[in-house]
Amino acid sequence: MARAWRTAALAAVIAVLLLLLLPYLWIFLTSFKTRLDALADVPVWVFTPTYDHYPEVFINKGYLPLVWNSIIVAVLSTALSLVVGAPAAYVFARFDFTGREDLFFFFLTTRMAPPISVVVPMFLLFTTLGITDKPIAVILAHTTFNLSLVVWMMRGFFNDIPREIDEAAMMDGHSQLGTFLKILIPLAAPGLAATAVLCFILSWNEFLYAFILVAFEGRTLTVGIPGLITPHGTLWGQVAAVAVVATLPILVFTFIVQRHLVRGLTFGAVKG
Amino acid sequence: MSIAFNQISKVFADGTVALDRLDLEFDRGEFIVLLGPSGSGKTTACRILAGLEQATSGVISIDGRDVTRLPPRERNMSMVFQNYALYGHKTVFDNIAYPLRVRKIGRNSIGTKVHEVARLLQIESYLDRRPSQLSGGQAQRVAVARALVWNPDICLMDEPLSNLDALLRLQTRTELKRLHSDLGHTFLFVTHDQEEAMTLGTKIAVLNEGQLVQFDIPRRIYHEPSSRFVAEFIGRPAMNIIDGEINNGMFQAAGGFQIDVENQPDGPVAMGIRPEQILVSGTQTKQTIEFELDVIELVEPDTLLFVKKGGVNMVVRVMRDMGQIERGATVHLALPHAHRHFFELADGRRRW
Amino acid sequence: MIKRRMGAVLDRGLAPLLLIPSVLLLLLILVGPFLYMVWTAFTDLHYALPGRAGSFVGFDNFRRLMREDQIFWHSFLLTLRFVFWVVVVEFTAGFSLALLLFHFIQRRRLFLTLLLVPMMLAPVAVGLIWKLLLQGDFGMVTYYLRWIGIIDTRTALLSDPALVLLTIIFIDVWQWTPFVTLIMLAGLLSLPREPYEAAIMDGARPLQIFRDVTLPLLRPIIALVLLLRGIDAFKEFDKVFILTGGGPGTATELLSVYTYRVNFKDWDLGYGAVCAFMVYLVVLILCAVFYKAVFWHESRAPARKA
Repeated sequence: MARAWRTAALAAVIAVLLLLLLPYLWIFLTSFKTRLDALADVPVWVFTPTYDHYPEVFINKGYLPLVWNSIIVAVLSTALSLVVGAPAAYVFARFDFTGREDLFFFFLTTRMAPPISVVVPMFLLFTTLGITDKPIAVILAHTTFNLSLVVWMMRGFFNDIPREIDEAAMMDGHSQLGTFLKILIPLAAPGLAATAVLCFILSWNEFLYAFILVAFEGRTLTVGIPGLITPHGTLWGQVAAVAVVATLPILVFTFIVQRHLVRGLTFGAVKG
Repeated sequence: MSIAFNQISKVFADGTVALDRLDLEFDRGEFIVLLGPSGSGKTTACRILAGLEQATSGVISIDGRDVTRLPPRERNMSMVFQNYALYGHKTVFDNIAYPLRVRKIGRNSIGTKVHEVARLLQIESYLDRRPSQLSGGQAQRVAVARALVWNPDICLMDEPLSNLDALLRLQTRTELKRLHSDLGHTFLFVTHDQEEAMTLGTKIAVLNEGQLVQFDIPRRIYHEPSSRFVAEFIGRPAMNIIDGEINNGMFQAAGGFQIDVENQPDGPVAMGIRPEQILVSGTQTKQTIEFELDVIELVEPDTLLFVKKGGVNMVVRVMRDMGQIERGATVHLALPHAHRHFFELADGRRRW
Repeated sequence: MIKRRMGAVLDRGLAPLLLIPSVLLLLLILVGPFLYMVWTAFTDLHYALPGRAGSFVGFDNFRRLMREDQIFWHSFLLTLRFVFWVVVVEFTAGFSLALLLFHFIQRRRLFLTLLLVPMMLAPVAVGLIWKLLLQGDFGMVTYYLRWIGIIDTRTALLSDPALVLLTIIFIDVWQWTPFVTLIMLAGLLSLPREPYEAAIMDGARPLQIFRDVTLPLLRPIIALVLLLRGIDAFKEFDKVFILTGGGPGTATELLSVYTYRVNFKDWDLGYGAVCAFMVYLVVLILCAVFYKAVFWHESRAPARKA
């Protein structure tokens, strides 16, 4: 009886997984299909692969710099968020001051802020400042959500370290700053790394800010995607190739930080 | 050469008074135990001495130098924490070496010193391990090693034994005692366990509700408790204390017996006597009182007799086998004059 | 001596020193733009019309929003419908899947890993994938749906006004159901054993245990999941933008998409600021609810004392 239930449950879970994974598999396959196979009336599952789409779109059509832009933006936004956010998280974790929780809530609201609402005035401001179409515009924009993610996640990781560790370090002769830099940061390193990867993913995947704030030179990979879709004659093989390049590294990263993902996705509310 | 708390008070943000004008002074080389129930302020006192907590008022001085406002790193003290607080990302060696590194001791002498203290604490064989690979007892030794390696002025210990299991706690206790006799360091040890305090301390400071109740050598704490609180807190089973009144040299227990007393003025009083100092007599004499046996507990090699007479309950510790004795039997007890303690009924102070 | 004094100052001033950069940065990149948006909402700034350089017009834009703009309110209702169905379906499906995994499957690591795929894809890529799958003439999913007979041979899901919202909802469900599963499973795994054992000893049956023990214990996590998904769904833009651009007509023009259109297609920035402000307002309200429901008790717990 229990065994039958188990088998049924397993079947259900596998069916759901197929439903979740097949679409991605399809775009992966499409990136290796000839135009004829891609546009066939009856879906083609077995075919002779072509490897032309990747060099065509990334080298001949010039999408390679977009990958580079995405990396620059994601890395720098992550770095900025960590450098500014981790010390703030430490303060939230270790110091008592009036209004602490209200300030913390303010950080939360920044994480939740709807991009469409932020990007409208940001576009106007950045145009005035003359920094649109430069990576710095997107880096700053992505810091709006990454900074508070860092503060929220890292506060949790610092809270996980017993206060006695700080006190031991102070007895061992450290100042407070020394304790933070030499003891807490190394101890929280796994959490810091997971946070960094999550920031990188969020920035890499982001579309709207980048789409509004950069148009030409500074375009990131996600911004490049809509440009490939035309009302007629979309080259789906190439679109698929871009989609695969835009997603595969992220999936690899995801598996690296899987253990900390729940915490990251819930602002530390669920430890996972 | 002394360490002193002068009128130290600590009030927490929520209004809790943890310490109330604490005065305490002791010499180098002592093994001082701060003893008290939870909430007595003993841990706060220790943390204020360490510099981890700021006193609300009062002065901490070391050899006459005011250190009240100094951060921990400038006080030359080390500390062993209840949960050991080892650095999880460093090896045992690096944990022990860490205070030396922070204090910029030369590289060569670091190795020598770490190995020396490791040998002393018998942890040489796992210097390469990480804290997560250590048992509780081993982690405890590493924490002690880290606290002793750089010869601090004082080594503070905040309930360092309470996370160990019973047998290990006894062993470690003995070792700490040996360590102190061998090294002659100054220790300040916080505990709520009176047995630990009695065995380890060269002097014990008993705290209650943020105030120092008694500060003395263990023998005097036991034999001449300064108050009813100390008398009850020290010794297990606890001292029997009977409320009553003295009239014309006779102690009248409330709801119980009468007994003659020596050299005590009249008035309301609480009389105490330790369970192990009550004598059980085979026959009735002029000095004995008749009690009814209520419960017998065999705590080999001793026997505990819980007896009652009227409204008075007492426990007697007999250090021999009582043979066949039944509940409800009559026992004759003598309460020797020399071992009686008298406390004011009103405020619990000792009547000298 | 000087070094010592520096150290003392640094110890005392450390907290503000470490905290202030983050606050300043947020003021610069969030509060600044926000205030600018509020200001713009009171002007007639328009990039496409001559003579609308941003002079003060009082509450004109707000009046227009409340009285004249039916499309905005259509979008608003559409967004609410979208959010409602997305949250309901994702929660039901995701929680069920979490329960299946929790109760019947022991070695679930691989399942969980694979489960993560849809939600970690860039939303733009998700839009792209489904655009390919749902193409009218050669889409793989379209083909099989027609083959089974769920839709007739002329219907294309993304261009049929009657079905397109449903399709968008389905795609969001496809992407985010795993999120609910992941969080709920983490919640289930974090529950203490004792209440279950107590309930079993009290003679409760499995369904009673679920209702009387599991659900109450999970309540904070359920609130968290519902609100997080609700807030995110309310902000939905990327997928819809790629899949339909808001169309056909205004059939899928969610609030973000409409706000985008007003600002960056019509270039009516004064009025667009009002729309953006409204979206912000709703999210802030949801956010406050979220905070009260999920974090309040935990973070206001009394600070540790010696």
